[in-house]
Amino acid sequence: MSGASRSNVGGWLRGTTIRKGATPSTTRSATPQVQSTSSTVFGGGVKDASGRTSEFFSMDDQCPVCKSDRYLNPKLRLLVSSCYHKMCESCIDRLFTLGPAPCPICNKILRKLAFIPQTFEDLVVEKEVAVRRKIAKEFNKRREDFPDLRSYNDYLEEVEDITFNLINDIDIPQTEARIAAYRKENASLIERNLQREEAYAQALKEHEEAEKRERQLRADELRRAEEEERDAREGERRALIDTLAQSDADAGRLVARSKAEAQKRAAARTSAAAHAVQASSALLLRSRAAQGAAVPDVPHVAIQDDWYAYEDMFTLRPSYFDPASDAVRRDREGIMRAGGYRVEEAWERALRSAVAGLDLPPLVGLAAGQGDGDVVMASV
Amino acid sequence: MALPAPPDVPSIPPPTRTPLFEGSTQFRNWRFSQQQLHATRVSLNRSAVTAIRNTFEADLPGSSSDIQFLESKEELLLVKLYVTKISQLCGHFRFPEEVEATGISYLKRFYLKNTVMDWHPKNVMLTALFLATKTTNNPISLEAYTSNIPRTSASDVLDLEFLVAQSLAFEFAIWHAHRALWGLWLDVQDLPNAPNRDDLQKYYDTAVQHVRTSRLTDAELIYPPSQIALACLSLADSDLAATWARAKGAESVLQIIPSIKDMILQDGQVPSVEVVREIDRRLKVCKNPEKVVGSKAYLAKKEKEEREAESKRAKKAEGVRKAMEDGDPFGDELNGAATAIAALDDDD
Repeated sequence: MSGASRSNVGGWLRGTTIRKGATPSTTRSATPQVQSTSSTVFGGGVKDASGRTSEFFSMDDQCPVCKSDRYLNPKLRLLVSSCYHKMCESCIDRLFTLGPAPCPICNKILRKLAFIPQTFEDLVVEKEVAVRRKIAKEFNKRREDFPDLRSYNDYLEEVEDITFNLINDIDIPQTEARIAAYRKENASLIERNLQREEAYAQALKEHEEAEKRERQLRADELRRAEEEERDAREGERRALIDTLAQSDADAGRLVARSKAEAQKRAAARTSAAAHAVQASSALLLRSRAAQGAAVPDVPHVAIQDDWYAYEDMFTLRPSYFDPASDAVRRDREGIMRAGGYRVEEAWERALRSAVAGLDLPPLVGLAAGQGDGDVVMASV
Repeated sequence: MALPAPPDVPSIPPPTRTPLFEGSTQFRNWRFSQQQLHATRVSLNRSAVTAIRNTFEADLPGSSSDIQFLESKEELLLVKLYVTKISQLCGHFRFPEEVEATGISYLKRFYLKNTVMDWHPKNVMLTALFLATKTTNNPISLEAYTSNIPRTSASDVLDLEFLVAQSLAFEFAIWHAHRALWGLWLDVQDLPNAPNRDDLQKYYDTAVQHVRTSRLTDAELIYPPSQIALACLSLADSDLAATWARAKGAESVLQIIPSIKDMILQDGQVPSVEVVREIDRRLKVCKNPEKVVGSKAYLAKKEKEEREAESKRAKKAEGVRKAMEDGDPFGDELNGAATAIAALDDDD
């Protein structure tokens, strides 16, 4: 794409045709979508995480070309041209079916396929997103590609400069020339960074898939175990009924024995299943731990303070005659203790405070003790 | 409680362990001798009188000659009256004892750093109590607080809040005597020949009354709460208190207790309203004019502060301008030379 040489400057901004999501969903919570009324597949737009293009939609939509609005045509769908002007699908069909034609608003030559669905209410934002995405594809150098922070910052500054110019249509030809020069200069680096990013994305995807498979496997295992257990239980029941029908021993004893056996078997089964689940989740944990190995896990050290809390001065009894705390202790529902209040702790604190500093002699004289009496008038 | 010691550390506590109470700010910064308290109050009073006299003289020479300034003893009496007011307010609001005790402690501590002539206790009392509701986790909305106290607006409470907090050096945690008494009373039940429940209840109720009385005195600024609690129990039943102290192996405290008891009995009287009214009348004349909104001295002080702030702002603007001239403020500072601007940007 060498838009700089063409007459329609900014031509490289034309949205590339991206296939729309396979199943156009009818509604999305934030931005409601409308189903396309035309057979034309329009590309572009901003995709969400699931790969669908969400479209901006408003009751006040009106086509600036034919002035038809949503009141007249409830299925009105506005699309955005590469010069960022909106028009409705019927106008697009009418104007551009016979090939490239000038935009009715700004006279720029447009093609039918270069119209994109609108994602943002503000078209300036729409344009900015498109420009930035475009720019990021080529200006993909990283901090490691620079000898020092300074040059990296200069590079970022330049990228921002170019982006700003493109968004605000300032010196488009010069800017295009700058981009072209950059591209020529850094062709190999751009390619390498692209590959690097792709490889990273690929790795991420693979990892996610592996995890998904793992989860699936575990769920299957659990389901199978459950099924087996159900079968076994069913079998036991049938066997019990059979024995009861055939044998002439005491029915109560037979039932009790079979119950005990069933319990034993069930315990064995659950322990086996737990083992299997544990093994697989341990595997998962290990793989997670391997990822997080870069962050060192510092063992927790409890605070080691050397306060003397008068432990030898009192012993806390399990209960006291204490009308003050009667209500809390009698509270059966534990509403008063809901916040973690424990009468024992309140008692302990009171006891501690009763013996704290019991043999402390009072200060005497004017010599400034620990208090140091820094008497200063506070001022506002 | 003590954590289980790791195996390689000897479980015997090292002899250097500091008792918890001695780590408290109450012990470190708010414990005085009687002489220190007296000296502090007198010197505060003296410096306030000098400052106020100078202000009066600056306003109108010779105007201060016939003013009768308050003495430190009279100031203390006024504060004491407002201590009782806090108790009344707490009864009205049904605040827990903790709030009341905390508010009173704040008020007393505040007047160890400030004088009545600068800040009238009727406002400081409201602020101290409001602060206490918050620091003891019994919050009440400011509207509910002020609307239940006649002739009080929100600004009366809030204007002084920072000043009070600052005077307390932001040391809000207080060890109270009533909690110590509760613990003491619980522990008394552990004695081999503890009295029966009715007597216990009776002693406790009497002792609690004495603890409340002790809040009118300087006891909490001199003695640790455990000793005050023991003295109050001793006032209720001296034998029980002595038995308990011996059981704890703290006979030495029995020599301290009588002085606390004397203090509670002597200083625990509510000051007579007539005397305090007279003091308050004189205070109207001799309060610091710099703190009276609208007076000449107040305006002069405000102007001076404004001038200082202005010159500071000018200095800062100059510094910023210079930094701009020296180079692009965002450009060449990548290598940590930005400290010059950071230093200018200290408070405002």
